[in-house]
Amino acid sequence: MNILVCVKQVPDDFAKVHLGENGKPALEGIDKVVNAFDTYAVEMAVRLCENHGGRVVVATIGAEEEVRPSMVQMIAVGANQAYIFAPNTADGDESSVAAGLAELVKKTEETIGESFDLIMCGKESTDEISSQVGAMLAEKLNLSFVSSVIDVKPAEAGLCVKQETEEGSASYEVSCPAVVTVAKPEYDPRYPNLKSKMAARKAVIPYLSDALTPVQPAVRCMNYQEPAKREAGVKIQEKNAVDAVARAIALMADDKVL
Amino acid sequence: MKTLVYIETKNNKPFNGCLELIHEAMDLGEGTAVLIGNDCEDSAKEVSRYGIPVLVLDTEAVCQDTVLAALVSAAADTQSELILMSATQTGKDLAPRLAARLDTGCITDVVGIRKDGESLIFTRPAYGGAVLEDMQFAEGKKAVATVRGGSFTKAEAAQAGDITVKSIEIPADAVKAKLIDTAVEITELVNLEGAEVIVAGGRGCGDAQTFGLVEELAKLLGGVVGASRPAIEEGWVSRAHQIGQSGKIVSPKLYIACGISGAMQHVSGMIGSDYIVAINKDEDAPIFDTADISIVGRCEEILPLMIEEIRARKA
Repeated sequence: MNILVCVKQVPDDFAKVHLGENGKPALEGIDKVVNAFDTYAVEMAVRLCENHGGRVVVATIGAEEEVRPSMVQMIAVGANQAYIFAPNTADGDESSVAAGLAELVKKTEETIGESFDLIMCGKESTDEISSQVGAMLAEKLNLSFVSSVIDVKPAEAGLCVKQETEEGSASYEVSCPAVVTVAKPEYDPRYPNLKSKMAARKAVIPYLSDALTPVQPAVRCMNYQEPAKREAGVKIQEKNAVDAVARAIALMADDKVL
Repeated sequence: MKTLVYIETKNNKPFNGCLELIHEAMDLGEGTAVLIGNDCEDSAKEVSRYGIPVLVLDTEAVCQDTVLAALVSAAADTQSELILMSATQTGKDLAPRLAARLDTGCITDVVGIRKDGESLIFTRPAYGGAVLEDMQFAEGKKAVATVRGGSFTKAEAAQAGDITVKSIEIPADAVKAKLIDTAVEITELVNLEGAEVIVAGGRGCGDAQTFGLVEELAKLLGGVVGASRPAIEEGWVSRAHQIGQSGKIVSPKLYIACGISGAMQHVSGMIGSDYIVAINKDEDAPIFDTADISIVGRCEEILPLMIEEIRARKA
């Protein structure tokens, strides 16, 4: 089975983002990581190929020197090949990214000389959290789509995919090729070992600088704001827990919240 | 502006988050509510009571692929320039797909819409809620957006809108993902969005036994139990209780955070609470920056005393 995982590099979501002097999110000092949901997708793809045979290709859109470490990392945890595509727009919204990825899928298929059976994305990225790109990509490729997938198994007619729902789960049968987005499965992504890290560092990762057609975004961000801050209130730090609770309850009673 | 509101239904009842969109749609101009399925009669009546014209698309097979096809036809029939959905799992799946079919973009998790001359500005959170973005569609593009629950107030009852029922045939090849089975693992009804009091626990509870104290305090205050992601990953409570970016967005009158450090992903889900009490052993925990009352201490020591004290006051 040939699987393509679309990967996005994002600012580490453990860091709190503030607006810079130019009024835009100041991301310069924040570590760059692979979007967590994309790492779940890569792990799911690698497991699928380990159990049933196949190959995992990862691809991303970005500036080569900026995103290469993330691609190397994905090879170190089991991806067989990686590609980097230069952006198709300077100010991309989800629809322009999805258009770029649809083109990326075709170009990558031409390069490897085979077509993909399954295309995976994380269910959302931890920076913009819009959960649109996978769904839009499926539409642009006119393929079946299932979101928030936590398990994939080969089935007679293609694949059986299990979706996490608000109440539990739902199972779908899709024919290949299909597009799915991945939620957190029961397992965690593997860590690279020293040997796989060393090998990945030497990997040849092609950079396609003008493969994608320029597009205009349908949505633009006009302005950023920081949400209104709350004032911190009273801090109770007593040696004795009984005193602390008595003070807290008295304050809550004064404020009529009990 | 011609606006289409997609009303999700379940067990022939309209979803509350969708009803919240009606007032906004009518405020922006000509609104139409669309319901899709073969058993929408009661829901359509309920929706029409808010004074909005209702379009029912009667179709046999109901799955996401058929609903999407029906929405494309409803958007064309009503010549809508703006299509609003609630930011539920279904809404978030359908909206970007619909946007792609209408050759436009989509905005997720909208918390406010305002007019700027002829165009609309949509505000949405990003970066775990640390930043708000004001977004605009390019000229000539239709607007598709999902709206976060609780962002708009529900409309008041008005003179009932007309109900138009139209039956539509969806070609069989529209269904690409075949639903073969659903499993209900979470049966409890957890009404976090409507709760007046929420007592929530996180990793700092340390064990299931201390998390049990969170549940006891919630019960005592007539509130609902909430949790941050680590508490769910530890298995202390089901993910139906999760509050934050990947869970529910809540705004109770009283929120008591127990052993929750205050990661942005959690805080963005509860920052709208009227009154916040936080208990944490780490005096520098970020949750204290948003709390009205911060108690530095261990949950296993503070909670039993708090329960005892409140019980004594109630007696």
